[in-house]
Amino acid sequence: MFRSTLTQLTKIAAPHRFLATTAELAPRVKTFKIYRWNPDTPEKKPELQTYEINLNECGPMVLDALLKIKNEQDSTLTLRRSCREGICGSCAMNIGGKNTLACLCRIDTNTSKELKIYPLPHMFVVRDLVPDLTHFYKQYKSIQPYLQRDTVPEDGTENLQSVADRKKLDGLYECILCACCSTSCPSYWWNQQQYLGPAVLMQAYRWLIDSRDQATAVRKEMLQNSMSLYRCHTIMNCSKTCPKGLNPGKAIAEIKKSLAFD
Amino acid sequence: MIARVGLSNLVRPAHQLVRPSIVRALKTIPEPAGGIVGTVNDAYIVPSAQKLEGSYHWTSERLVAVGLVPLTVMPLAGGDFSATLDTALASLLLIHCHAGFQACIVDYIPKRVYGAIHSYAMMLLTFGTMVSGYGIYNLEKEDGLTGLVKKLWKA
Amino acid sequence: MARLSGIQKEVTKLYRHCCRCVYKKPEETRPNWRRFIRGEFAKYREIPKRDFATVEYLIRQGWKRAELYAGEGVRDVR
Repeated sequence: MFRSTLTQLTKIAAPHRFLATTAELAPRVKTFKIYRWNPDTPEKKPELQTYEINLNECGPMVLDALLKIKNEQDSTLTLRRSCREGICGSCAMNIGGKNTLACLCRIDTNTSKELKIYPLPHMFVVRDLVPDLTHFYKQYKSIQPYLQRDTVPEDGTENLQSVADRKKLDGLYECILCACCSTSCPSYWWNQQQYLGPAVLMQAYRWLIDSRDQATAVRKEMLQNSMSLYRCHTIMNCSKTCPKGLNPGKAIAEIKKSLAFD
Repeated sequence: MIARVGLSNLVRPAHQLVRPSIVRALKTIPEPAGGIVGTVNDAYIVPSAQKLEGSYHWTSERLVAVGLVPLTVMPLAGGDFSATLDTALASLLLIHCHAGFQACIVDYIPKRVYGAIHSYAMMLLTFGTMVSGYGIYNLEKEDGLTGLVKKLWKA
Repeated sequence: MARLSGIQKEVTKLYRHCCRCVYKKPEETRPNWRRFIRGEFAKYREIPKRDFATVEYLIRQGWKRAELYAGEGVRDVR
């Protein structure tokens, strides 16, 4: 009994003990193909550049690999990143065909397959993996994402909310606006100029159902046209791709339900 | 689309399918640079409220779709199916199809980009619906939609 | 002159817009602005007219930059 625990312990400890001498392990070289485009040479078409990384010398996440490439192989590789733990939403990109955060996406350790990394689909590209999110933010601004009230509490303190009312906001307020869901939505690809997209609509819903907010009528009025909300055809790519595990598709359906007999 | 993502050199077959010059011959309204109207700090301006295009449209679409379910199941399950119900089935089906095609046009031939072509497409759709409506009228004078399906099934 | 294609018209439209904007700048800096505009357009003169993706990108970028430089705070360019 005691011996078996000991052997297990040694097994667990083994990789840590040999961390300094990774050369002894067989190298696991993984191929990364990364989208490159430089605005300074616009006449050069975008291309996939190949990088090779030994996974033994690299952290487990795609962001670790990207930073390793940037540090050691090619410092011109451009990407946004900040928190490296999935709370800032900067490193959203299309990894292996799925929109996700590079910092939350594990590298597939199967070294026979290459990993392709693109910027968020159907957005204007600023450079390499950096998409232009200006219009996305403008849309977010248009739904007035802040508390609107005509009256202030009489005692001059905060606006109180019951526990049950607060609970309604769970699954909505966690959104970090990484734009993974919006850029995975075909409706948003074709009509992003006018359709608000899942991320922004989920925030619209978040403010619609906030018990403290008093501008519900105005908020609903803003969605009453054929483009802003009703270009959602419940394709549900948004809920499938969300790196935070939220459900924008359901939020949009709830908006439609609350507007139905309005 | 492909050109915008910048993959036109990677997906050549799709390019050869339709020559770019043909696509470009369709007059489209150029979109603002980077899709940005006004300064980057202005909010996007939502179109004015049109309940007929918004919630009413959506609700009626759902009602038609829900109404179609019993009307389709009833004749399939067998039993009596009156001419009135048959007319209701045929016309609701027509409205359902019309709404579906309308959504396709709004999605893929948006007024924002295609301007007049969008209106022509809508007119064509309305024309098609009217022709089908006349067809349904003729059909209902005889043995109706269910009768036709029965005949086709046996043929 | 040969008939211009749609995208070429877009380019000339942008160029004319830029040239007109020069008149809103102080008298003494106008030659600098003209030289700058001509230089920026000349940089990409060699791009083939069928390279739509590139030309469209440059037009888009051109409008953005024109808007930026048209601001009142910008007086001179070197």
